[in-house]
Amino acid sequence: MVTKTEETELNQLENQVENGGGGDWEYLCLVRKLKVRRSEIVFKHGLSILNDPGKRSALGPEEWTLYEQVAIAAMDCQSLGVAQNCIKALQKKFPESKRVGKLEALLLEAKGMWEEAEKAYTSLLEENPLDQVIHKRKVAMAKAQGKASLAIEHLNKYLEVFMADHDAWRELAEIYVSLQMYKQAAFCYEELILTQPTLPLYHLAYADVLYTIGGLENLISARKYYAATIDLTGGKSTRALLGICLCGSAIAQLSRGRNKEDKDMAAPELQSLAATALEKEYKQKAPAKLSLLSSALRSLKLS
Amino acid sequence: MNLGFLIGVLGVLILSHAAYSTIQYRGLLKITEEEFSGPPMNVVLELIVGLALCMWAALTFPGKFLSIHPDSDENRAVSLPDNSDFMIFNHRGRLFPPEIDMKF
Repeated sequence: MVTKTEETELNQLENQVENGGGGDWEYLCLVRKLKVRRSEIVFKHGLSILNDPGKRSALGPEEWTLYEQVAIAAMDCQSLGVAQNCIKALQKKFPESKRVGKLEALLLEAKGMWEEAEKAYTSLLEENPLDQVIHKRKVAMAKAQGKASLAIEHLNKYLEVFMADHDAWRELAEIYVSLQMYKQAAFCYEELILTQPTLPLYHLAYADVLYTIGGLENLISARKYYAATIDLTGGKSTRALLGICLCGSAIAQLSRGRNKEDKDMAAPELQSLAATALEKEYKQKAPAKLSLLSSALRSLKLS
Repeated sequence: MNLGFLIGVLGVLILSHAAYSTIQYRGLLKITEEEFSGPPMNVVLELIVGLALCMWAALTFPGKFLSIHPDSDENRAVSLPDNSDFMIFNHRGRLFPPEIDMKF
């Protein structure tokens, strides 16, 4: 996860690098550490470092990690020739390497040659049947070919063995959401919250899914999770504040016909507090849109 | 050796000297068979000085303290990593070749 200070540092370095002010290598290291996907910039500047033999030798043994990073960025930017050359250089240096084998199979995937990639992955799996990355690549291939149910099947089998892999649970939740299987997605998010309860982003995603499923109990739980997100982020999550307002109005709408016992016990102050906090934030960050927000909030309270 | 470390060593030395004088004082009281109510005034002053020095050293020597608030800027998670293990390459960006044709 990327923290706020790291994000500002990343943006700063990115601006610096894009405007030609040096700091290329620090930027590339930061991108690798934070695992963000900035393929165009990495490709452009990483390649300029590699093409310059002076800078390349200054890197020492880190040169090969840079080759790998640039190869993957090149595949993402659809420059398959450059990727091929990087991989050839890596192969010359490290023959018989599994890591380079994975990169070759990745290149086959990027070219769209699915059967060859499948064969390459199966042979790599024979040598090492417990390689997590290769299992995940098979899921990614199924996803890329549009076979979502196959991807789900593979991912479920993977998660039976490697239950602690957060990225895999998150991927599964996103695939379920894309197929509108919200109950299963809610289950995945519950698993994520169980293992990492201090990360507010999972609470937020779970609350979103619950709100989408609808129904009175789900809306009440969704509101609880939005409140938990606000607690964990110290009130800085605009989406959670809006979520509370929307949940409040949806609950009021649903429970209009029922008698007093079913009325939700949470304080009505929660909604007005969230509305005040939202207006304050909009006044600070986007004063032009404040009137839009106020009219939207007013219509929510009336409905 | 920076200042914090030296002051810390000095504070520990002062405290151990205060402990030694208290033991000596008790030995003296045993000879004159009086009760030991507390260390003498100067030892108490020495103890306070030693306490202040040690506390100052403990706060400055370890360096920068990390924030423990979950919503401070250093600890607040803004976004999750982009899940590069599941990255696929047939996204819509495939149709846009890079502007600069780079060779390697």
